[in-house]
Amino acid sequence: MNIIETVNITKKYGDFVANDAINLAVSEGEIKAIVGENGAGKTTLMNMLYGLIAPTSGKLLVGGKEVKFSSPLDAINSGLGMVHQHFKLVPSLTVCENILLGIEVLKNKTPFIDAKKQYEKVQAVVDKFKFDLNVRDRVEDISIGQKQRVEIMKMLYRNVNILILDEPTAVLTPQEVDELTISLKELKAQGKTIIIITHKLGEVMQLSDSVTIIKRGKVVGEVKTKDTNERKLAQMMVGRDVVLSVKKEEIDNSGNPVVYKLENISTKNIFGKEVLSDINLEVKEGEVLGIAGVEGNGQSELLKVVTGLMTTTKGNITLNGKEITNWWPANIRDAGVGMIHEDRYAQGLCQNMTIKENMIAGYHYCGDVCSRGFLRSQVISKKRDRLIKDYDIRVADAEGEVSQLSGGNAQKIIIAREFDSKPKVLIAAQPTRGVDVGSIEFIHNKILDLRKQGVGVLLISSELSEIMSLSDRIAVMYKGKIIGVVNQKDTSTTELGLLMAGITDKGGKQE
Amino acid sequence: MNKVRKLGLSLLNSLLPVLCAFAIGAVIILIIGQNPLTTYWIMIKNTLFTWKGFMKTLHYASPLILTGLAIAITFKANIFNMGVEGQLLGGAFASCIIGFSLKSMNPTAHVIICLLSGIIVGMLFALVPAILKAYFHVNEMVVTLMLNYAIAKILQVLASTVFRDKAAGYVATSPIESSAMFNRIGGTSITLFFPITIVVFIAMYFVFKKSRLGYEITAIGRNTEFAEASGMNVRRKIIYMMLISGALSGLAGAGFMMSEKFKYTLDFSGSPGLGWDGMLIALLGGHDPIGILIAAVFYSALKTGSDSIGIFANVPKEIVAVIQGLMILFLSIRFIDQRTKVFENFKTRFISKKAQTEEVQ
Repeated sequence: MNIIETVNITKKYGDFVANDAINLAVSEGEIKAIVGENGAGKTTLMNMLYGLIAPTSGKLLVGGKEVKFSSPLDAINSGLGMVHQHFKLVPSLTVCENILLGIEVLKNKTPFIDAKKQYEKVQAVVDKFKFDLNVRDRVEDISIGQKQRVEIMKMLYRNVNILILDEPTAVLTPQEVDELTISLKELKAQGKTIIIITHKLGEVMQLSDSVTIIKRGKVVGEVKTKDTNERKLAQMMVGRDVVLSVKKEEIDNSGNPVVYKLENISTKNIFGKEVLSDINLEVKEGEVLGIAGVEGNGQSELLKVVTGLMTTTKGNITLNGKEITNWWPANIRDAGVGMIHEDRYAQGLCQNMTIKENMIAGYHYCGDVCSRGFLRSQVISKKRDRLIKDYDIRVADAEGEVSQLSGGNAQKIIIAREFDSKPKVLIAAQPTRGVDVGSIEFIHNKILDLRKQGVGVLLISSELSEIMSLSDRIAVMYKGKIIGVVNQKDTSTTELGLLMAGITDKGGKQE
Repeated sequence: MNKVRKLGLSLLNSLLPVLCAFAIGAVIILIIGQNPLTTYWIMIKNTLFTWKGFMKTLHYASPLILTGLAIAITFKANIFNMGVEGQLLGGAFASCIIGFSLKSMNPTAHVIICLLSGIIVGMLFALVPAILKAYFHVNEMVVTLMLNYAIAKILQVLASTVFRDKAAGYVATSPIESSAMFNRIGGTSITLFFPITIVVFIAMYFVFKKSRLGYEITAIGRNTEFAEASGMNVRRKIIYMMLISGALSGLAGAGFMMSEKFKYTLDFSGSPGLGWDGMLIALLGGHDPIGILIAAVFYSALKTGSDSIGIFANVPKEIVAVIQGLMILFLSIRFIDQRTKVFENFKTRFISKKAQTEEVQ
C-alpha cells in the first residue's frame, strides 16, 4: 500500500517550473531515496510534502486520503515529520527539553513542568527505538550525530510514522553515518516509513529499498535499489555517463621543482591552544598534494594560515623561494596563490551581492577590472559572461544575485574566479562539498587540468575518495600535526584510515 | 523586470512611512477643525512651487544632503557612526573660530580655510571612535553616540567663556568676518554652499556606485568574513569610512555656519539637530545617494514649510514636528520585505476573482 502518493504535483515560481507533474509513490515501511543534482527540485518536493510551501497544482495523498497542508503542524498531525539539514535545536537546553519543546508535560492541573515524568516519557521512546542518547545531556555538549538523533527523536515523540530526512549525512563523519544507518534500519524494522533526500549514491545503495531520480523538476526514473548500481543512478541523474573516478594522467612529477613550501608552521587559536605544530609540507609544480584527516584535526586552521586569515606563531611559507608568511590575503593572491575556501557562503561568496560583484572578489584591485580606484563595469560584465560560458555556470539571471544559484553553480563561480587568475599554486579546501555529481566531475577535471599545466595544488578534503582520485601524494593530519605522508600509488584507504585515527605503522597510537 | 520590481519595492518602502505619517497628521488637523488638504497645500506651495521658496528649500537641504550621505556611507557597511551631529558641531565651531579670528583676508582664501578647518575637525572627531573600533574592538555605536554630548558640552563651555561675544545678550561667539561668509545669489536664499554640496554629492555618488571603495563597503556590510577572505583590509576600510563620514559632517557644519548662522549659538543645529535629521534622511532614502538627495529636499521642504503653516493656516506649526516624529516611527517598521510578493499577490487575487466571476456568469 502506498502511504504517500503525489498525483501530478507541480510547483511554479513565475515562469520557472521547480516541480513538473511529479508522481511519487512511497509504500509503507520502506526506505525511499530521492536523488538528483543540486537544483533538480528535491527540496521543493519535500517542502510541499511537509506543508512549507503550497503546490501550484496536483494532489497529495497520505494513506490514500487527499490532504492539503497549510503548515508543518498539519503535516505532523497527519504523521509526517521532517529532519532538516540544519538542526533547529536550543543548545542550552537538555535533549529531553528540546524534544518536548512546545508540548511540555505538566503536573496535574498546575502550570508547572513535571521534569521527572518528562524524562521518563522521553527515555521510554529512546529505549523503544534503541537510540544511543542520554536524555539529560545538554545539546551544546553532544556530537553532531547525536544532535541529528535528537531531531529524529523530536519527530518520533510526536508519533509520526513517515520521516523525511534532508541530506542527513552531509554533516556527519563516516562513523556517524554508520550509526545513522543502524538507527534508520531499526526504525524501518519498527514499521516507520523513511524518505531520504541525498546526492551521495553510496549511501543510497547502502540504505534504501527504492530510489526515485529527479532531474530538472521531473521524475526520470524509479527503480528498486537491488536492481541498480551507482553508475546507473549517476547516469540517470545527470543524463550522461559520469566518470565517477576521474582519470588522472600519470605524470612523473617527482623531479619537478618545489613551488610551495611550508616549514615548521605552528599557530595558536584564540584560547592560546596550539592547533598546528611544526607543519612541513612541499608542493612541487604539477603535483596535487592531498591533506586528509578527520575534520577538526587542524585542517581549517592550516587553511586559514595559508590563505592569510590567521597568523603563524612560528615557521615560514615560501612561494618559489619567496617568503609570503602572514601576508595579507590580497597580497597572497597577487603573488599567484588561488584559494577555494571551505565554506563557500561564508568566505568564498557573498550571497546577496550580484554574480558580477562576486566574480571579481579578491581580484577587484587588479589592473584590468579597476583603474584609479574605480571599477570598470563593462570589462567586468564581459569577464562574467565569458566565465559563465567557459565554466558552464547555469544562471537564470546573469544580473542577479548569487543566492539564486544552486550549490554546484555557486561553487563554479569560485572555481571560475580563482582559475581564471592563472595561479601558480592553488589551495582548494573541500572543493566539491555539497555539490552535485555533474559538478564534482567538472571541478575534478579542472583541478587535474591545472596539474597538467604545472600548477601546484594543495587539496584539503574530508572526502577520502576525492583525495585518493586526485592526489599524487597524501599527507594525513592528526591533532594539528602531519602524522604521515604517503604516495597515492602505494597506499590504500585502509592505511589512510589508520593514519587518520592516529595509528602509524611504527606501532602504537600517537598522542 | 527584476530591477524594476526591486526599484518599485524600495520606492514603496520609502513612500509608505511618509504617507502614513501624513495620514495621521491629517487626522490631527481634522480634530483641530481645519482642512488637512489646504494645510498641506499651504505647506508645500511655498516651499516647492515658488522660485524663491524652492531656492530656500534647496538652501536648507544642503547640510541635510551631506549628513544623510555621512550616515549612509557607514551604515551601509554595518558600521554605525551615530556621531554625525557631534562631528557637525565640531566642524561648525572650528570654521566659526577661523572665520572671526582671521581679519581682512582674501575672501576666497578665507572661505577655503574655513571649510577645510571644518572638514579636518569633523574627521578628527570621527577618527577617535574609528581607531577604537578597528584596533580595540570598542563598539563604535556607543562611543560615537556618547561623544556627541561630550562635544556639545565642550563647545558650550568654550562658547560661553573663551569665545563669548560680550556684546550679545545670549551665549554666542562673535560672528564670522564677512570675508568668510557665503553671499546669497540673485536675491534668493541660495549661496555657493549649495553648488559645493552638489559637487560633493556627485563625487559621493561615484564613490558609492562605481568605486572600489564602494564595492568594498557593500561587501563588508553584507558579509564581513567574505570581505576579509577576499583580501579587504577591514580595519583600514573602517577608518576610511569614518574619516569620509566625519569629513562630510564637518563640511555640513562649516557650510551651514558660513551660509546661514554666521556665529555659534547653543541652538546652532536646531532641534532635533542636522545630524539626527541626516539619519532620518538616510533611512528614508534607503542609503542610496539619489534617494538621499530626494529625501533631503523633501525633508527640507517640510522644515521650511512649517513657517508658512504658522503664518497662513490656523494650525500650529508644531504639526510639522508631529509629522516628522511619525515618519521616524513608521520608518522603523519595514513594511515590505524583498520577499513579499505584493504584486504577485495582487495579481493572483485579481485574476482568481476574475475567474470566479466568470464562473458565476
